[in-house]
Amino acid sequence: MSTKIDLEQEGVEVRKSVCYFCHQNCGCLVYVKDGKIIHFEGDLDYPTNSGGLCCRGNVNLIHLDHEARVNFPLKRKGERGAGEWERITWEQAIDEIGAKLEEIREKHGAEAVATAGGTSRTDDWARRRFMNLYGSPNGFHNSHLCWIPTFMIETAIYGWSPFEIDLGLSKCIVLWGQNPAISTLPEQAGISALKKNGLKVIVIDPRFTETAAKADLWIPVKPGTDLALALAWINTIIYEGLADYEFVYEHCVGFDELTEHIEQYTPEWAEPITGVSADLIREGARMYATSKPGNIQWGVAIDQIGKPAGAAMHARAILRAITGNLDCPGADLLTGPSQEFITDEEMELNDMLPEEQRKKQLGSDKYKLVTWPGYGRIAEITKKYWGKAPTAEWMCEAHPPSVYNAILTGDPYPVKALLVSATNPINSYGESKKVLAALEAVDFLVTCDYWLTPTAMLSDYVLPMAGSFERPTITSTYGCSDFLMCSQRAIQPMYERKTDFEFWRDLGIRLGQKEYWPWETLEDAYFDRIKDLGYGVENYDEFVEYFRFHFPEREYYKYKERGGFATPSGKVEIYSSVLEELGYPPLPSYIPPAENPIDHPELAKEYPLVLTTGAGIMPFHHSEHFNIKELRFLRHEPHMEINPETAEEYGIKDGDWVWIETKRGRIKQKAHVTEGIAPGVVFTERGWWYPERDLRAPELGGCLESNTNVLTSTADEHCDPISGTWANRGLLCKVYKADGSDGKEAN
Amino acid sequence: MSAKHETWGWMLAVDFFFAGMGAAMLLFAGIAELFGGSNLSTVGILAGAVFVAIGACLLILELGRPFQALRVFMNPKAILTFGAWNMSFAIVAGLLLGTSYMEIFPWFGIVGLQKVLAVICVICGLVVATYPGVLLGRHKGRPFWTGSGMPVLFLTSSLLTGLAAYIVCGWFTEVAPVVTDLFPYLAAGLCLFQLVIWVSYIWIKSSGGSVHAVEAVRRWTKGNYATGFQAGFMFVGTVVPLILFLIPNATAVGIGGLLAILGGLIMRNLVVYSGQDRTWLPGEKEYRSRLPQGHEAFLQKVWTKQI
Amino acid sequence: MPRYAMVIDTRKCTGCQSCTVACRVHNKLPVDMIYNPVTTHGPVGKFPHVRMTHIPSLCMHCDVSPCVDACPTGASQQREDGIVWVEAEKCVGCKACVMACPYGARVSNHEEGTVQKCNFCKDDRVDQGKLPWCVQTCHQKARVFGDIEDENSEVFKLVNGSKNVGRLLEELGTEPFVYYLY
Ligand SMILES: Nc1nc2c(c(=O)[nH]1)N[C@H]1C(S)=C(S)[C@@H](COP(=O)(O)OP(=O)(O)OC[C@H]3O[C@@H](n4cnc5c(=O)[nH]c(N)nc54)[C@H](O)[C@@H]3O)O[C@H]1N2
Ligand SMILES: Nc1nc2c(c(=O)[nH]1)N[C@H]1C(S)=C(S)[C@@H](COP(=O)(O)OP(=O)(O)OC[C@H]3O[C@@H](n4cnc5c(=O)[nH]c(N)nc54)[C@H](O)[C@@H]3O)O[C@H]1N2
Ligand code: SF4
Ligand code: SF4
Ligand code: SF4
Ligand code: SF4
Ligand code: SF4
Ligand SMILES: [Mo]
Repeated sequence: MSTKIDLEQEGVEVRKSVCYFCHQNCGCLVYVKDGKIIHFEGDLDYPTNSGGLCCRGNVNLIHLDHEARVNFPLKRKGERGAGEWERITWEQAIDEIGAKLEEIREKHGAEAVATAGGTSRTDDWARRRFMNLYGSPNGFHNSHLCWIPTFMIETAIYGWSPFEIDLGLSKCIVLWGQNPAISTLPEQAGISALKKNGLKVIVIDPRFTETAAKADLWIPVKPGTDLALALAWINTIIYEGLADYEFVYEHCVGFDELTEHIEQYTPEWAEPITGVSADLIREGARMYATSKPGNIQWGVAIDQIGKPAGAAMHARAILRAITGNLDCPGADLLTGPSQEFITDEEMELNDMLPEEQRKKQLGSDKYKLVTWPGYGRIAEITKKYWGKAPTAEWMCEAHPPSVYNAILTGDPYPVKALLVSATNPINSYGESKKVLAALEAVDFLVTCDYWLTPTAMLSDYVLPMAGSFERPTITSTYGCSDFLMCSQRAIQPMYERKTDFEFWRDLGIRLGQKEYWPWETLEDAYFDRIKDLGYGVENYDEFVEYFRFHFPEREYYKYKERGGFATPSGKVEIYSSVLEELGYPPLPSYIPPAENPIDHPELAKEYPLVLTTGAGIMPFHHSEHFNIKELRFLRHEPHMEINPETAEEYGIKDGDWVWIETKRGRIKQKAHVTEGIAPGVVFTERGWWYPERDLRAPELGGCLESNTNVLTSTADEHCDPISGTWANRGLLCKVYKADGSDGKEAN
Repeated sequence: MSAKHETWGWMLAVDFFFAGMGAAMLLFAGIAELFGGSNLSTVGILAGAVFVAIGACLLILELGRPFQALRVFMNPKAILTFGAWNMSFAIVAGLLLGTSYMEIFPWFGIVGLQKVLAVICVICGLVVATYPGVLLGRHKGRPFWTGSGMPVLFLTSSLLTGLAAYIVCGWFTEVAPVVTDLFPYLAAGLCLFQLVIWVSYIWIKSSGGSVHAVEAVRRWTKGNYATGFQAGFMFVGTVVPLILFLIPNATAVGIGGLLAILGGLIMRNLVVYSGQDRTWLPGEKEYRSRLPQGHEAFLQKVWTKQI
Repeated sequence: MPRYAMVIDTRKCTGCQSCTVACRVHNKLPVDMIYNPVTTHGPVGKFPHVRMTHIPSLCMHCDVSPCVDACPTGASQQREDGIVWVEAEKCVGCKACVMACPYGARVSNHEEGTVQKCNFCKDDRVDQGKLPWCVQTCHQKARVFGDIEDENSEVFKLVNGSKNVGRLLEELGTEPFVYYLY
């Protein structure tokens, strides 16, 4: 079937745009005529994807004008969740929302307004800028689950997070709870291309993933026990004399304390906890420590193991330090923030948030690292060293479960309004039933999204957002990288969609922040950020047209020129003074997962299986794209994974609908019986809801039926005391066949 | 995309059945005319031609674009094209031959013409009775079909159902004596032969062939075809008629004929549907089994603009 | 005259199915039509000693193509450059080719009543000097396309330069022009 389009015809303009269905931002060339897109494809010259587009990238045009998109500002008419909407103008929407926020600030204080975000998908500095000017410290994302605790622990220990890897010369990469073959496809391409150079790949994952299938070593750790594994690796490296002593003695503090502290954590000790044999633990440790230079890539699994998360990140950071795999060619780089362009943090106006408001940040009394106490301290240190601080939006957030609790209980103070942008909290935050209750309970709910998600359905206002090709994009790793990749808007937003930037700006202006929002368009704002880079361009579009990227010269061993690392002591703080200052253990000690059979034998009687919830799956992005038939067709039902031995024990056959139940509730997924997971361990897919069903309350698109976050725990005692991240991985569950009435197909 | 759409269905099976039975009837008519100068049964011959025509109609109906059916005559190298031509000739020759025994037609009793038509009936009848088997047997990627067994199985069944059809004809219309005297014994012989070759075929497929064949034949021995094949085709459609044909009683023989015809119908369906078993690529079966079947709510959903 | 071929590197393929979507979306196929499934073989073995391979497929553009031979209308054809394709106007949907193809490469278009298949994206891509959609979209560069007659082409080098190269169902004698590296 020919679909030939004449791209050479007159009036066709090629726009350098990106896909934004995940934060990989793959480069695209978009062919536009008379303001309409006639064709697009992956950009062969774009350095990360070189023409590649994943499943989602290919449906950009279907997404762009899908019938189910929200195209106009909607105001609720009937009951909450009744699905009756009135189309209003943007002016009316902004005016009414603004009025409501003013009223709340007067009656309850600015902190009674919170905003929820999700994965990095839009210009979050604008949201933070708005919140700072408005006066509320209660912005949050589920960033706790997604690298942010890792970033902050690592920054505390050696002054920045080495998310940029220098793979070209690397001899070993450890993919710790990461599945780039499915989650970050361009990265996987880089890894597999380098295998012929002798790059060794170690995958630490309870599941035999697509990535593990190609690895040199697969370490099937029991969910939630990564800390034990990391400690045993440190033990092996130190006690087998594999550490980089020169680096350790010259550039680190606390190695001797560590040596003593780590003695107890032998591979033999870790074996029963992790389910990994002591031999395999040693083999992995040796491979990493001796194949130098090497990298440990960040995966989000450890961010999500709850209680032991912070200590596990600390231990993982120590592994880099004691092997000297920091900031040298072929190892994990500490780029620091950009010295050249204006960073996200500088766009946020964090100084505008008064000290007394910072103190009110929900959860900051308990979880200090990614809230004002820890962020403030770390920002101070990095500013002194780098001149700049990490992005506050992401790195300094209200603790989400604490916000939902405050909505439900009014404790420690009432939260009256929630502005939701670029997230679907019912599906992605922990303990979905609680989240749902909070969304139902909150006085005022506004959602900015592409679709009527279950969350949007409960809202008072839903605002139509501009997507991938309808807005320009700057890609810079949550605003923390030293490089920029810039892309153009291909077309002006269709219908009455706007960018998030415009939403926050309009709302800000309505609330008297006019002087702080000088830019008319997002391009103007972006241009401000890059204009001093010295490319001699007149505007942002021109920069993209001619340069598109800014990659600074790579510098190694920055600590040598700069007189150390961005820490209080100027050294890599294995023994962390920042953590100590905040009241946390300065060295990582073993903390078991929130729920586990060793410490909770009673619980394990009822819930005998170890559970890990979620991981990226193709073709979906979290709870997105379930309504796009072209994608859904490839995976139309949710699947949980279970070992044949365990399945047999519970009378479960491949393809059966089963219930997976924890103390917090149960969900239904189909069984995928596989040898790719250990006996006794269960994995559930994340994101699932059924947009084809009735979207009105109480059905809400079946958003609890197969939603793995019904199972997770956000209880204070299950959260990581350092960062507050909650427990998605390493829980206890039971599994049983769904029978008769409830066994019918989920759709 | 459910696998069932990606295989030939019952219409083609019924086509093969009718065409095979009709073709065998014309074949016998042609032989009788050529070597005995006799008319087996006017009704029978006409029915034979009509059966082939019914088969052709079903073949057309099975097409995705029935109105363009004439295009199937275009590729002389394709077996289907070959079959289509032969079916067409068989229908025309059969109708002319049958009517040549009826006084009201101008070509009544023209012996020369009858001989020519008889030759065409023999050749085309033989081809139409056999080619489906050849067609299926050439499918290297369909382990149950592939090989030289299918033509024999199809020809046997066609001949048997053709004989049976004449026998049933004899119940209510005038037929040549050979139909009542000899045909039941021929039919009984064919039943026996059919029994033997099917047992052998299944045995060979399940022991000698590829893993794919072993997998495919499991459907016939233990799987969802087992009852249809063993009880339906082998017992009711082959063994029972075999016995009935040997009972010298018109009713018994007639019922035997009906059962043998039924057997042929069952066999064609089972065989045609077993084309769904392919030489699966590694992991392909699991892959396809997880695809939606077409009725799923998300597929049915018609999205409409919000406002 | 070129002879087009594809080399699929199963060591690189992660089973992401992006090629399946790209093919369907850009070739504007109905939602239930798939030219190029990606199957998963495994995990085989017993935990934790397991293996898993993803096997992307498509029409093999066989040199001895049973589908072309089987087609009664002549709709199924093979170009001189080896591309096997269906001329939609001529196709009557008899499915003879569907049944004849050992690779499951042919699919019915229930909306049109015809049978369709991968044509190596000849019209919009290859004849325009561009890569087939499934090749370009693959982040892992697991699919390589080119002229195997040309000794400088990547496909030629991969096929002739590797030991671990094979074809699917080679024993059937269809002479497929899709090669697999493993
Ligand atoms: N149990 C469990 N829970 C998890 C995870 C897990 O592995 N297991 N993973 C966690 C991780 S890492 C993350 S990042 C979160 C993700 O959590 P979410 O970010 O909530 O996930 P999505 O489902 O992608 O929701 C994004 C929403 O934003 C909308 N959207 C997309 N782009 C834009 C935009 O530009 N502007 C606006 N306004 N809206 C937009 C989409 O339509 C969609 O509804 O989930 C976390 N939750
Ligand atoms: N297809 C797809 N791609 C995505 C996304 C998506 O939703 N879908 N989301 C994007 C986002 S926001 C993010 S943050 C990234 C995340 O991408 P990744 O960092 O790859 O994270 P996940 O896929 O959530 O989980 C990685 C692996 O952790 C394993 N795991 C589970 N529990 C444990 C455990 O206790 N310990 C260890 N060591 N491993 C465990 C899982 O089996 C999984 O294979 O992906 C991005 N890319
Ligand atoms: S969704 Fe896919 S194509 Fe789009 S940016 Fe992410 S990886 Fe790239
Ligand atoms: S796009 Fe590439 S990696 Fe993904 S399934 Fe297809 S061939 Fe494999
Ligand atoms: S793979 Fe199938 S459709 Fe393609 S040329 Fe070979 S036989 Fe024909
Ligand atoms: S379905 Fe079409 S292409 Fe296939 S054999 Fe029949 S006519 Fe030819
Ligand atoms: S070559 Fe083109 S038509 Fe063939 S599978 Fe790939 S994308 Fe589809
Ligand atoms: Mo994330």
